[in-house]
Amino acid sequence: MADLSERALELLREIALRAEAARRMEGGATEALLRSIVEATVTLFQAEAASIALHDPASDRLVFRVAAGEQGQGVVGVAIPPDKGIAGYVFSTGQSLALSDVQRDPRFGRGVAEQTGYVPRSIIAVPLVDEHGTVGVLEVLDKRDSSAFSLRDVELAGVFARQAAVAIRASRVERDVTALLATALASLAGAGAGAEAAAGAEEGAAAAAAELVSAALAGLDRDDESRLWALAERVARVRRADPAQLELVIDLLDVLARHAERSRTVRGSRRGRAED
Amino acid sequence: MAGLDLPAWSEPFTGDRRAALAHLVPFPGVDREWAFGGADGSGVTVAIVDSGVERDHPAVGGSLVAGVRVDLVDGEPVVVDDPEGTDVFGHGTACAGIVHALAPAAELLSVRVLGADLRGKGVAFAAGLEWAIDHGATVANLSLSSKSERLFGLFHEIADRAYFANALLVCAANNVPGPSYPSLFSSVVSVAAHDVADPWVWFYNPSPPVEFGAHGVDVRVAWNDGGSTVATGNSFAAPHIAAIAALIRSKHPELTPFELKSLLAATANDARTVAGP
Repeated sequence: MADLSERALELLREIALRAEAARRMEGGATEALLRSIVEATVTLFQAEAASIALHDPASDRLVFRVAAGEQGQGVVGVAIPPDKGIAGYVFSTGQSLALSDVQRDPRFGRGVAEQTGYVPRSIIAVPLVDEHGTVGVLEVLDKRDSSAFSLRDVELAGVFARQAAVAIRASRVERDVTALLATALASLAGAGAGAEAAAGAEEGAAAAAAELVSAALAGLDRDDESRLWALAERVARVRRADPAQLELVIDLLDVLARHAERSRTVRGSRRGRAED
Repeated sequence: MAGLDLPAWSEPFTGDRRAALAHLVPFPGVDREWAFGGADGSGVTVAIVDSGVERDHPAVGGSLVAGVRVDLVDGEPVVVDDPEGTDVFGHGTACAGIVHALAPAAELLSVRVLGADLRGKGVAFAAGLEWAIDHGATVANLSLSSKSERLFGLFHEIADRAYFANALLVCAANNVPGPSYPSLFSSVVSVAAHDVADPWVWFYNPSPPVEFGAHGVDVRVAWNDGGSTVATGNSFAAPHIAAIAALIRSKHPELTPFELKSLLAATANDARTVAGP
C-alpha cells in the first residue's frame, strides 16, 4: 500500500513537473501564434488592420490581445464591454458579419475608434468558437482594394478564426493540466476522507492523502526558485533565437550534457573504488 | 475557397454553385400570387429576438407595438417592459427594418436578450421567446444561436414549444463548424445568405441543414441612433424569410409551421433562372 502510494506520488510529481515546465517554456507562444494569424489575415485580405479580442471572464471585458497592419496597433490592450460595438455583438451572438459604409454613420463604433485613433470604413467580425462557446472575436478592417467585404471574405475570415480558436484551446489545455492535477488530487484526498468516515477505520488514510496532495502540489509552486525553472525559462528565451543561433545552443547543450554525464561516471567510479 | 473545408452554409446559394439547386417543390396551383399576393402582413405579429429595436427609427415605421428585455435576477429570468425601445447594438433594428420593408403592416415585438449580463444565458432566451409567443407572435426572427451542448436540451424544448404553439422560428445559420442551436434543429427555418441583390429572391436547398437562402450580402440596413449601414451576414438573410412567412401567414392565418415552411419552399425562386450578382 505504501509502495503503491509512493509510486503514485512519484508519477504525479513527474506529471506536475512536466506540466509546469511546459507552461514556463511556452513563454508567450500562444500570443506569438495569434499574432502570426492576424499578420497572415492582413496580408491575405490586404487590409489596413486585423485584430483578435479575447474575453476575460474575470473582468467581463473583450480585450484586444494582438493586432497587425498599419492601422492596427492602437487597439492592443483596449478592453470593451461585451455589449458594445460590432465585436460585442459578434461575441454575444456567435454570428459573423461584415459592415461597409460605416463612416456614413458617424456614431458607429466611435467609442473604440476614439481609443484607437482609427475609424474604419468597412469591417468583418467573426467569432472565435471552441467547444465551450465563443471565446473571442477576430476583426478585419478596410480592404485596400475594395470598399466592402464579400460573403466569401466572411467565410475566409472564419478559417483564420478557427486557427486562432485552436491555438487558444491548446494553450488552455496546457494551463488546465496543472489545474486538473490539483483538482484530481484534492478530490482523491476528499474521497479518502469520505471513505474513512464511512468505514470508521484507518485513521492515517486522510492524512496520507493530504500529504500526497501537498507533496505533489509542491511541484506546482510557481514561485519555487528551483534550478529546473531557471533552466526552463532560459530555454523559453532561446526559442526566439534564429535557426543558426539555435543550432549553436543545441551544440553547446550537447557538450554540457556529455560533460555532466562524464563527470557523474567519474565521480561514481571514484566512490565505487573508495567503497572497495 | 471551394477547396477549403468550410462550414459554408451560404455556398449552395451563391455564384456558380446555385445552379445545382434544381429541386422544385411540386405544389401545383401554388404560386406567390396564391401564397401572399396582396398581403401586407396585417394581422401577423413578428417577434424580433435580438439586441432590441429602436422604436422611433424611420425604417421601423412605427410598427413596434411592444418591447421587453429579459433581466436575470438571482439566475431567474424576469421579463421587463422596455418602452424606450433601446437597441444596444443596432442589429435588432436592422432586422426589424428588413421585416417592415417587406411586410409593412405586420406588428413587431422586440425581445431584447442580448447584453453584457445575458450572454449565453439560455434561460433568458427561453423566457423571452415564451413571452413573445404568449403575446401573439406567430413568427419569430432569431439571429443568435449557441454551440453550448449544455443548452441543447433547453433550446430543443423551446423549438418544440414554439412549433406546437404554432409559432414559426426563423433562424440565421451560423457559419462555424459543428452544430449550433436552435438554427440547425429541423423544426425551425434556418437561413443563410445569397448574393443576389434582391429582397424578393429566395432559394430552397433540398440538402439540409440549411434549407433557405435569402438576401444577405451588401444589404442596406437600419442601425442604431437612427443610422444605417451596409451589412453582410446570415443574420440579415433571416429577416427576409421571416417577413415572407409573415406575408403568407397574413393571407392564410390557419397555416401551421410545417405548412408555412412547405409554402416557402414551393414559392422559392428557381435557382436556374436567376442571374448572379
